[in-house]
Amino acid sequence: MTGAYPGRDSHEVDALITDRYLEALLAAHARGADHAPAGAEPAPSIRLAADRLARDLPRLHPSFRFEEALAARLAEVAARMGLSAAAGAEGLVVPLPGQGPPRGADLAADLDDASEDSRAGIGRPLLIGGALTSAALSIAGAAYVAWRLNRPPSSAMVRAARAIARTRPV
Amino acid sequence: MARPALRKVDRPEEGGPRLAHLDRDRRLVEAAQADPARFEALYRKYLAQVYSYAFYELRDHHEAEDATERTFLAALTNLGRFEERARPADGEGASTFRVWLFQIARNAVAERRRRRYRRPEAPLEAAAAVAAPIDLEADTALRDDAAAAWRAVGRLPGDRRRALTLRFVDEMSTAEIAGVLGRSEGAVRVLIHRALRSVARDLDDTSR
Repeated sequence: MTGAYPGRDSHEVDALITDRYLEALLAAHARGADHAPAGAEPAPSIRLAADRLARDLPRLHPSFRFEEALAARLAEVAARMGLSAAAGAEGLVVPLPGQGPPRGADLAADLDDASEDSRAGIGRPLLIGGALTSAALSIAGAAYVAWRLNRPPSSAMVRAARAIARTRPV
Repeated sequence: MARPALRKVDRPEEGGPRLAHLDRDRRLVEAAQADPARFEALYRKYLAQVYSYAFYELRDHHEAEDATERTFLAALTNLGRFEERARPADGEGASTFRVWLFQIARNAVAERRRRRYRRPEAPLEAAAAVAAPIDLEADTALRDDAAAAWRAVGRLPGDRRRALTLRFVDEMSTAEIAGVLGRSEGAVRVLIHRALRSVARDLDDTSR
């Protein structure tokens, strides 16, 4: 039995014959034929089981409603990803109107962002050039900027940047 | 008899470059990486395959939808890390994107299963029987042999069942299944062979 497949044991040879049969069978089904072309065939019981599964196991499609709902959700996520990518490439952090922090504070905030991960999942407060989000214009956004500017600095680089910002005239 | 399946088999164009089909999703993947909105093409292409895999594994319409949703959301948000690496040895039509996607699906299904074990529900077959609107056993009630095949596959242990589903329902090559299951191609061949032997015995018992 293993003569045509030297170096393989009988289990492997049987499995290989089955595999080749399945290749031929599924290719035949794809062409609309019912049976695999004649060739090396596995044991009759295996062949019958394979024929039945190839014929009787359908591929299923979810409901149209689910498909469209998920498509919409993915589009929403994709749009957010696109916005943040564009913002990351071109955007600048700018102060909120009327809440103008001293120049240099934006640099400090950037450095602060880089030195700590975005563990809270909060994005940069306001981005222009790439994207301007409504959330960034909210009161919560303003409060977040204020909090970021007043909280204790977390790294030497941030402290240095903030110190420089404080010494400069607004 | 025509197979009651939504099938799409991509084939290389006649006379086309030999390697072009080996990474058949490359253009779609690159487009989606550049513009996430273009992920939709990949989503539409693989939705039925991923959903089918989840349904055959979980045997529940709602859980399959949940796993499908998680799979595509995870694929979209992690697409930037994916790299197409199909090789000639992977066979015609091989797509490492599909392998990658099904690895995600496998994890999503496993997560659903873990939740099910923590919060036991009805047995698998009972769940499938009430899984409207796609109720395979009811739909195939007039075809006892089809229902028997469905049950026989459902009775197989883990990787044997997965391997048969990927081979017959999703029409993956042995190399692709090996990638999804994290096994060698030889091991997958043996797995499928043994699974078919079990199914043959099961179907034989059923017909007696």
